[in-house]
Parts: sequence; structure tokens; C-alpha cells
Amino acid sequence: MTTLDALLAKAEDLYMDTRYEAARAWKAAAPGRAVVGHAPVFAPVEVIVAAGALPLAVAGAGDRVDVIRGDAYFQSYICRIPRSILELAFEGNLDFVDLMVFPSTCDVIRNLSGVWTLAVEDQPAFFLDVPQGGGAPGGGLDTAPVPPRAVREGFWASQLRQVWERVAAITGASTDPESLRAAIRLANDWRGAVRELYDARAEEPWKFPAGATYLVLAAGDVLPLDEHAEMVRDYVRLSRARDLRRRDNIRVVVQGSFCERPPLGLVRTLDRAGLYVVDDDFVLYSRWYERDIDEEGDPLANLARAFFDRSRTTATVYERDQDRAQELVARARRRRADGVVLMAASFCDPALLDRPALTAALQDAGIPVTDFKFAENTSQFSAVREQVGTFSDSVRLWSRT
Amino acid sequence: MSNGIIAAGIDVGSSTVQVALVTDRDDLDGPLLGTMEERIRRRIPSRVARHAFDNILAAHGLAESDVAYVASTGDDEAVPFRHGHFYGMTTHARGALFLDPEVRGALDVGALHSRAIVFSPEGRVERHRMTGQCASGSGQFLENISRYLGVTLDEVGPLSLQAQGAEPPSGICAVLAETDVINLVSRGVPTPDILRGLHVSVSQRLGRLLKAVKAKGPVLVTGGGSRDEGLLAVLRERLEAQGTTDIELRTHPLAPLAGAIGAGLWGLVRHRVLAEQEGREGAPAAP
Repeated sequence: MTTLDALLAKAEDLYMDTRYEAARAWKAAAPGRAVVGHAPVFAPVEVIVAAGALPLAVAGAGDRVDVIRGDAYFQSYICRIPRSILELAFEGNLDFVDLMVFPSTCDVIRNLSGVWTLAVEDQPAFFLDVPQGGGAPGGGLDTAPVPPRAVREGFWASQLRQVWERVAAITGASTDPESLRAAIRLANDWRGAVRELYDARAEEPWKFPAGATYLVLAAGDVLPLDEHAEMVRDYVRLSRARDLRRRDNIRVVVQGSFCERPPLGLVRTLDRAGLYVVDDDFVLYSRWYERDIDEEGDPLANLARAFFDRSRTTATVYERDQDRAQELVARARRRRADGVVLMAASFCDPALLDRPALTAALQDAGIPVTDFKFAENTSQFSAVREQVGTFSDSVRLWSRT
Repeated sequence: MSNGIIAAGIDVGSSTVQVALVTDRDDLDGPLLGTMEERIRRRIPSRVARHAFDNILAAHGLAESDVAYVASTGDDEAVPFRHGHFYGMTTHARGALFLDPEVRGALDVGALHSRAIVFSPEGRVERHRMTGQCASGSGQFLENISRYLGVTLDEVGPLSLQAQGAEPPSGICAVLAETDVINLVSRGVPTPDILRGLHVSVSQRLGRLLKAVKAKGPVLVTGGGSRDEGLLAVLRERLEAQGTTDIELRTHPLAPLAGAIGAGLWGLVRHRVLAEQEGREGAPAAP
């Protein structure tokens, strides 16, 4: 039986390993296996698994890789994650990846798809056109007609089918519905485990430090879904059994780090600054669906429908009927948060453009909020610690009086 | 021993650990039960913090379980038995207000950092500014130089007051200033003049901090630097010379412990809030 220390050491080893040795080993363990990389944020894990491949989250390399050649392909005033993903490729760290999937997260990831195709030889890319709601309130597109739901679901199903068939062509697997149904079952269980972790943390956050939880989540980047689900459940069980002193920290929801990953040191800084993180949007693909995908009926149709009726809101997907600000307010209340920390990557348009609306809604709701920016290679955390620490002081001493 | 709630504030700095015990009993002269200070002297800060805490409890006939809330400030990780932590500007503001209810600003001259704080009549921090990574605006800088000059820390202030002139180091960098001081000594510059020169250098930075936070009226100097009367004299002169006549620098015998006192007082507040929230009087942070 594993110990918590051993589990966290394993998770940290996986997190630190920019050669993705665990995924390489999985691929080498049996002939015909394939690994499919996916850039943030949405990940079509079900169809990748259904086609017999391992989904590999390629989410940059944080402060673990020096970006040198990757800088040559992008202008300086965008975020860092496309540079470090390219650097990983140029360094040969992704040479075992059979296909890279780039979702339409934002302009940067969209462009990365094209740059990858031009710059990375012999490793094909697939651009996954994630549906958007069809118009922005108050903008020029506001009056544009939204296609009927059935049309949108049909489009999305066709996108997912293309990924499925593309991967199946690499592995030689068939694309029969039963394999997708089995993959959905597996992914439901995996996301269920992650939901259990988040619920347990919200209940007893002092037993689930943000840094440790982040590592356990990120370990799923390279592990098969069932292995990661087991790790997550072990982490919950072992952490719950811990006898740790509950401190007078504030409970916060952290929002805005759904794409470029904050460095581990930054997440640990939140722990050290008097915060209990009770919810966040780290490693978002592992919690994309808030409820299980239906397992009965047409699995591809179920998968397509789930995107529209049970996806978690995120700044990278616009839905006219969704109010992300009110959703954040509701989530903060549901998690009994004392405040919200808006922690966005520098130059992250989706997160930073959302910030004013989120801040206004939180303030209107009387929920204290603070914000700052980071880059995946940020290495100085003292200013952040000071800022969120004084935020914690302010919330504890003044917000209730 | 006590019928009231007791809280402890523990300020772990880079050179000393300070502890304050406070209570909400209203049959005493005030909430402060006692203080204790212990130099770290190359020991492990967490052990010094534990030792100082145990000593003050013993001195007051208390057990650890009698303390409802242990609040750390400074290096929180050196106080693993804490219930909560408060940041330096929060605790120095509260401590300064307790020691001198008229002040609306504090200038904390610590061993590694100095900071200027402006706060409301309730002790809520409104503005603050802190020195950066550089140690030249700090007490540690003065301590190092005094060691090179062969004088004790207690002698620095009185000697500086005896100076006939001031020989400031050529730069503000603490490392280079140490070289400067060696040159000054070799040139035969009297020790009081060198110390006053250092006070001039440090006070320039402190003056800028006060200006940056728009401090006005009475300001309490806190932290270990508040013991340095030479520094205070030079800083007052500097403020006057730069036309800043609306700041009145004050000090207090317990000003070096303002952080610990403020932490303890905020600990009392938090204990009360948590007890109300949880509907019980027990330790607020127990699971």
C-alpha cells in the first residue's frame, strides 16, 4: 500500500519529467500503441482512448525548460505556453507523440496549430474546432443567428469523429460504438474521482494543500485514465486520514489559470500565504464535464450533447446563455469561499478580458477579490505572497465587521 | 489563571523572535500581559520561537492550552503551532496604534526590511511601502557595520549622536558600503562620524518610504531600529531638511515589539470572530 509521501513523490516526478518517460513507457509496453498529445484547454480524451491511444496533456513546460528556439516563432506580446510547447518539440521531448490535437482555445493556440504543422516535421497536427455559442452580447455578432442546437451538436460530433478516426488510423483500432462507450465509462469514472477530490478538499481544505493537489491533478497528464483515477482516490483516502491542524486561513476560489499552467512554486505560495484553495480551474480538461456523460444510447451523440449541456463554463468557450461571472459567484458561494483570487497568465486574452466582468460581479455580490498575473516560468513569488497574504489579512479582519 | 481569553503574538524576524501575550480581560490596566524577546543567534528560528513561547508561558504560569489563539507574523513557518498568520504591515499597524493611539502611521525598521504604513483609526492598513531585496535600508546592515567597527548595537545610537560630521558611504548598496566603511576606517575617520554617515544613508531610504505612503501627523517608529536614537535623530533632521514638517516621529519603549503585540491583538479579534461563527468558545482553528 502506498503512503501519501510516496504518492506525492511520484506525482512530482511525473510533473517534473519533461521527457514524459511514463507515457513513453506506456507506448513501448505493447506494439501498436499510440500517444496523442492535446494542447489546452479542451481535450477529446474519450475518442482518443476509444481508438486505443494514450491522451497526453502537453501543457507547456513551466519553469523546467529554457525557451530558446520557441521564441523565434511568436511575437513577444503573447503568452508563453506556445513557445514552451514548441521548445519541447524542438528538443525532441515529444518525438514519440503520434498526433497533436490543438483545440480552438484562443488565437494563440489556434496559431500554434499552424506553426506546429510548419515547424515540426513528421508529427502531424489536428486542429479541433471547438464550438462557440455564436455571437457576443453588445458586439457586432450579437444579432448573428445561433444555429439550432441539433446543428451544433452535429457539427461537434463530426469534429470528434474526425479525431477518433484519425487516431484509429494510427492504432489500427476499429471505430465501433462499443469502444467509445467503454471509453466514456472510463472517463466518467476518472472525472468522478477528480470531482470526489474537489469535494473532499472543499470540505477539509487544510488536508489538501493546493500544491499537492495540483501535482496529483497534473500527474494525469501522462497517465492512463484508470491509473490516474486510482491515484486520485488514493490521494483523497490518504489525505483524509491525516491529522493536520486546521489554521485560520481564508477559503478562496482561484480562477483564470485554465490554460497556461502556473509554476508549482506559485501554487505552493498560495498555501503559504494563508489561503485554503477550495476550488480552481487548474488542469481543466480533467473536470470539463460537471456530470457524467450518458453511457446508454449513441455514444458519439451523447458525447456531443454533453459538451453543450454539462460543460463547465470557461472563458475559452463562449455561450450566449451563460453568465460566467454569475457562475463564478455561485461557485464561490457553493464552496463557501471567503474570497476569489483571479490568477491569469500574462497576455492570456480569454482570462484577462473576463476579469473586469468577474471582478464587478464578485464585488456586487460582496465577495472580496484580488488579482495578479503570472507566467509559467515565473520564479519570484515574494510579491505574490505579500499580495495574497495581505488579502487574507484584509478578508479575515475587515470583511465581516 | 485567567478568566479571559488569551492570545499570543509571535514575530519571527531574521535576527530576533518576539512574543507578546494579550488578553481580553477588562480588570487589568490593558490587554498586554507580557512580552519576551530572544535573539536568534544562528539558531534554528522555529526552535527559538518555541523556546521563547514556552518561556513566556512559564513566566505567566500558563499552559499552551490556555492560549486560545497563537498568531504568527514574520516567518510563519517558524511557528508550526500557530493558529493563524498576519502580515507585517497588518501587525505593526495594530501594534503601533495600541502603543500610541494618536498615531496613524508606522515606520517599521526591521532587520532585513523596512516599511512605512499608513492606517485608519481602527488599524486598517490604507497604504504601505516596503524596501526591496536590498538590505541597505535595514537594521541588519547597521548591525553588520557596527560589528566591523567593533561597537555593540546598543552603542550605535549614542555614538552617532556624538558625531561632529557625517561620512556617508558612497553608494546605497550594503555590500559595497561595507568596503566603503573599511576605507573610511583606514582614512582615520572617527567611528561616530562613520555611524552617522550610515544613519544618513539609511534615513534617506526611510524618508522616501514615508513620502511614498503620504504619511502625515504622528508616526510611530517600530521594529528593532526604533531603539536606535541616532537613526531617529538623523531621520528627523532629514524630514525637516526636505520640508516634511507634517510628520512627527515618535517612539515607545515597546515599539520594537509592535509586530508581536499587533499579532496577538489581531489573534484576539479572530478568536472572537471564529468563536461567534462556530458558536463555541473553544480553540478557533481546531478541526
